[in-house]
Amino acid sequence: MDVLTAASDAFFIIIEPSRMMFLLLGVGIGLLVGILPGISGVAGMALLLPFTYDMDQYTAMAFLLGLGSVTTTSDVLTSILFGVPGHASAQATVLEGYPMAKRGEAGRALSVSYMAAMVGGLIGAVILGVTIPLLRPVMLYVGSPELLAAALFGISMVSALSGSAPLRGLAAAGIGVLFAMVGADPQTGTLRWTMDTLFLWDGLPLLGVALGLFALPELCELAIGRTSVSKVPNQDLKAGMIQGVKDVFQNWWLAVRCSSIGAILGAVPGIGAAVIGWLAYAHALRTEKGASKTFGKGDVRGLVASESSNNAKEGGHLIPTIAFGVPSGASMAILLGAFLIHGLVPGPEMLTRNLDVTYAMVWSVVLANILGCAACYAFSGYFAKLTLLRYTLILPSVLVIVYIGAYQDSRDWGDFYTLLAFGVLGWIMKQLRWPRPPLILGFVLGEVIERYMFISIGRYGWDWLNPMTHPIVTILLVMAIVGFARAFMSNVRAEGGARTMMGGFGAPHFAKADIFPAALIVLLVIMLVQAMPWAFGAKIVPLFIGGITLFALVLSLTAQVFKKPKVARVLTARQLSGEDPEPEEEMDERIHMDIAVDHGSIPKREVIRRAVIFLGWIVSFMASIGLIGFLPSVPLFVIGYMKIEGQERWKLSIIMGTVLLVFVWLVFHQILAVTWPGSYLGDLIPAAKIIPSV
Amino acid sequence: MTVGSFVRTLALMLVALLAGAPAQAQPSVEQFYKGKVVSLYIGFSVGGGYDVYGRIVSRYLGRHIPGHPTVVPINMEGAGSLKMANWLYNVAPRDGTAIGTFSRGVPFEPLIGNAASARFDPTKFTWIGSTTNEVSVCVTWERTGITKFDELYNKELIVGGTGSGADADVFPKIIGAVLGSKFRLVSGYPGGNDIEFAMERGEVDGRCGWSWSSIESQKQQWLKDGTVKVLLQLALKKHPSLPDVPLIMDLARNEEERQIFRLIFVRGALGRPYMAPPGIPADRAAALRTAFDEMVKDPAFLAEAKRSRLEITPISGVELQDLLKVVYQTPPDIVAKTRAYLK
Repeated sequence: MDVLTAASDAFFIIIEPSRMMFLLLGVGIGLLVGILPGISGVAGMALLLPFTYDMDQYTAMAFLLGLGSVTTTSDVLTSILFGVPGHASAQATVLEGYPMAKRGEAGRALSVSYMAAMVGGLIGAVILGVTIPLLRPVMLYVGSPELLAAALFGISMVSALSGSAPLRGLAAAGIGVLFAMVGADPQTGTLRWTMDTLFLWDGLPLLGVALGLFALPELCELAIGRTSVSKVPNQDLKAGMIQGVKDVFQNWWLAVRCSSIGAILGAVPGIGAAVIGWLAYAHALRTEKGASKTFGKGDVRGLVASESSNNAKEGGHLIPTIAFGVPSGASMAILLGAFLIHGLVPGPEMLTRNLDVTYAMVWSVVLANILGCAACYAFSGYFAKLTLLRYTLILPSVLVIVYIGAYQDSRDWGDFYTLLAFGVLGWIMKQLRWPRPPLILGFVLGEVIERYMFISIGRYGWDWLNPMTHPIVTILLVMAIVGFARAFMSNVRAEGGARTMMGGFGAPHFAKADIFPAALIVLLVIMLVQAMPWAFGAKIVPLFIGGITLFALVLSLTAQVFKKPKVARVLTARQLSGEDPEPEEEMDERIHMDIAVDHGSIPKREVIRRAVIFLGWIVSFMASIGLIGFLPSVPLFVIGYMKIEGQERWKLSIIMGTVLLVFVWLVFHQILAVTWPGSYLGDLIPAAKIIPSV
Repeated sequence: MTVGSFVRTLALMLVALLAGAPAQAQPSVEQFYKGKVVSLYIGFSVGGGYDVYGRIVSRYLGRHIPGHPTVVPINMEGAGSLKMANWLYNVAPRDGTAIGTFSRGVPFEPLIGNAASARFDPTKFTWIGSTTNEVSVCVTWERTGITKFDELYNKELIVGGTGSGADADVFPKIIGAVLGSKFRLVSGYPGGNDIEFAMERGEVDGRCGWSWSSIESQKQQWLKDGTVKVLLQLALKKHPSLPDVPLIMDLARNEEERQIFRLIFVRGALGRPYMAPPGIPADRAAALRTAFDEMVKDPAFLAEAKRSRLEITPISGVELQDLLKVVYQTPPDIVAKTRAYLK
C-alpha cells in the first residue's frame, strides 16, 4: 500500500462519526484520569481494553490512543495548582508551574502547559508519521549497547539537574540506582534487599517513589504554611491564558527541540515517562539563555520543555511497538494486548498490509491532542481558582487521592509504606537543599543500565565500545562525557577555581543538617554489607555504584564539616593571588535545583512542629486504613483534618468528607474495580466485609 | 461501526460498572452461583498472554457454570504471579467464588525454584483446567546456517533469555547441562518480544523456550520463508503440526535424564492453567471443572479465540492434578541434581 494513500484513507476512516465519538470518549476519560494524581493512562487503558473486544481495529485504536494521548495533557493540573505531580512524567512541570501558581499566574502556567503539550503531541505524531517507512531499518540499528549508551547519556544529565550541589546530586543519583536494584535480579535470580517480602520482588514501585519524593513534601509545605497555594490574587485568567499561548510560540524552537527529544527517547524501551520530562528540562537548562538563573523559579521555558516532551513521547512510544512489538512503556504493553485481541501482528505487516491501521493510530494521536487541548482550555478556568482556597479544603482530598494513586502501582500495602518513606526522604532533601531529580533519574535508569550492560558485555565483550561497529554508542558516550566535563568545569569555576576548592579547610564545625548525610552513609554501609554474599552477577553493579555513592557522600559530608564558609575561602584565594577582593560580588549563579523552601516568618522550631503534626496525620490515616479499611477512612480523615486542624464548620467538613467518599467509591471502587488492601476489622468480624474495602 | 454500536457499547459499559450485589448462599450449586460474582484473579498485568486468555475465559466460563454467575477478571500481578498464587492458596475465600490463573512455572517453585517464597502445596489447589497444552521449541535464525539440533554439539548458538527462572533461561541451561549441546545464554531481556527483536537485528541467534502457538500466531511469516528453523520441541509429547522435529524426551539417554526432562518440561502441559483454592466444596469444584470442559468446546468461545489468534488445546483439571502428583513424586536426588544444573 502506498504511504500517502494509506495516510489519507486512514484519515477518512478515523473521522467517521462513530469512531470520532469513541475517540472523544477516550479523550474525555483520558483527561479525567490524567487529573487524578498517580492515575495514569495505563490505568485508564487497562480499564477500557476489555470494551474494545466488540469494536473494529480502527475504532479500538482510536479509543485507546484517544485516552493514552491526553492523560499527560491534563495531569499538569495538580502539578501546577498544588505542586503534586499528576503522574511521574509531570515532575519537572511542578518545578516551574507551581511557583507560577504561587505568584498568581496559574492561568498562564496552565495555558503554557496545554499549548506545549499539544505542540509536543503533534510533533511526536508527525515524527512517527513521516518516519513510518523508515521505522524498521532505523530501529534495527538500535541494539542493547545503544540502549545502554542512551541510558548512560540520560544519567549524565544528573550533572545538569544537580544545580549548585554536584556532589549531593551524584550521591542522590547513586542512591536512586541502588534503590532500583531492589528486587529479584534478572541475571541470577538473587533477591536483593527484598527484606523477605514478595512485594519487593518486583522492586520499589515507581509511583510510590515519585509521588513520595515530590507530592508529599509539597502537601506538607502547604500544611506548614497554613495558607492557600497562591498568596496573591490570581491575575486575570483570560489574559493569562492568552499570554501562555504567546509564551509557547515565542519559544517555538525550544518546543520543537524538546518534542523531538521526547519522541526519540520515547522510542527507546526502558527510558520511561518518569525521566523524559527531566531530560528535556535539563536540555533547556543547558541551552536556553539565562536559564541557570531563572529555572526553578517559575520560568515558562521549563514548562514548555517538560510538557512538549511529555506529549511527544507518546508518538515515540508507538515506534518500537508497531514496528517490532516491543513495548516501550506500560501503556504500550496494554496496546499490544489490544493488538492481540484484534489479531493484529506488530512488525512488517503493520507497515505493509495494515499500513492504514498504523496511520489511523497516527491520526488518533493527532486528533486526540487537538481535542484534549481544546477541552482543557474550555474547563480549566474553574480549576485555576482552586489555588485561592484554604489549605484545609484542598489538602485532605488531594492527600487521599495521592494515596490511592500510589496504591495503583502494585495494589499492596507496600505502596503506602513506599510513599510514606519517600515522602519523608523527599521532605528532608527539600529542606536541606539536596536535589531530588537525580534520585529519580538514577532510580529509573539504573535498572536499564544494569540490564543492558549485562546483555552488551555478555554478547559482545567490550566490542560494543568500538566506534566502527557501534557508532551510535560512541556518539552518545562522548556526549555524556562532554556534558559531565562541562558541568565539572563550571562547578570548579563557580567554586572560585581549583585552588580555592582544594584549600580553605578549617577546624570541624558540626551542624544538625550533617545528621542526614551521616544517616545515608550508615544506610549505605548496611546495604553494601548485605550485598557482599550475593552471586557475582547480582552484586557487581550495586557494589560499584554503592562505592561511588559512598565516596560522594563522605566527600560531601567532609566538605560540610571541615570547610570554611565559602565567602571567606574566595576572599583568601583572591588575596593570595593578589586580586582585588570583591566580597559583594555574586558568589554563585548556579540555581538550586528545586522549588525554593519559603516558610516566610515561621520560626524553624514551629516548622518542624507542624511537619511532625502533618506526619502524624498521614500515619493516623494509614493506621485507620489498616484498622477499618480504606473507604471508611476517607470521610474520617477528611472530617477529622478539617475539623481539628482547620477548625472548619461541622457542616462543611461533613459535606466535604461525604463528597470525597462518594467520588472515591464511584471512581475507584465501582469503575476502576480497585481491590482494596483489607483491614483488621474485616478479619475480626467477617460480617463487616459487606462494606467495601473493610 | 455505527452510531448504534457506540450507544450499545456505552450501555454495556454502564451495566458493567453497576454490576454487583451478591445474593445469599444456598446449598445447591445452581442456587449458590445464581446472581453471584465469581472473581477470576489473573497473576499478571493487563495486556499480556495470561491476561488475554484470562479475559476470554471470564467472558465465557460463567455461561457454563450452573446458575450463570458473572465472572469478573481482576489483575493481581507481582513476583511473576507468585504473589497471586500465595494469595489464592492462603487468603482467598474457599467457596468457589474465587478462581485464578497463574504462570505455569509457579507450581514448580517449591520444587526447583524459590521454595521459601512459595507458600503453597501445588498438588492441593483445585485444578480446573488449562486452555492450552503448550509445546515450546528451540529456534535458530537462518544466518547461523544451523538447521539441525545435532549441530549444536559442535557449534555454539547464542540464545536470548528473559531472566533467571524463565523458560527461555531454564530450558537451554538444562539441555546444555544434560546433553552437552552448546548454548550461550545472553539473558536479561525485558520480555519475549525483546528477544525476537534482538534476533532480528542479529544480537542473538536463537531462542530456546518459545511457545509454538505464539510463533504460529505472531511470526508465521518467519516460518514460511525459512527465516527461523525449528530445531527441537520441548514438551512431553510432540505437537501434531511438528511431526518431524525431534522431541526432547526422545533425546534422553537414560532414566535419570528422562526424569530430569520430565520435571522441567511438564510445565508446558499446564499451559494456561486455571485453578481454585484448595478445599472448596466438592460439588462446586466438579461444576467448575465441567463448566471449563464445556467452555473449551463452545463454538462461540472457539471463534473468539480464533479471532485473537489464540490456540486452544485444552487439558482437563483432573489431568492437571494427576500430572502434578506424578511430578511431585520425582526422587529427591533427581530434584537436587536439577536444581544444581539450574544454578
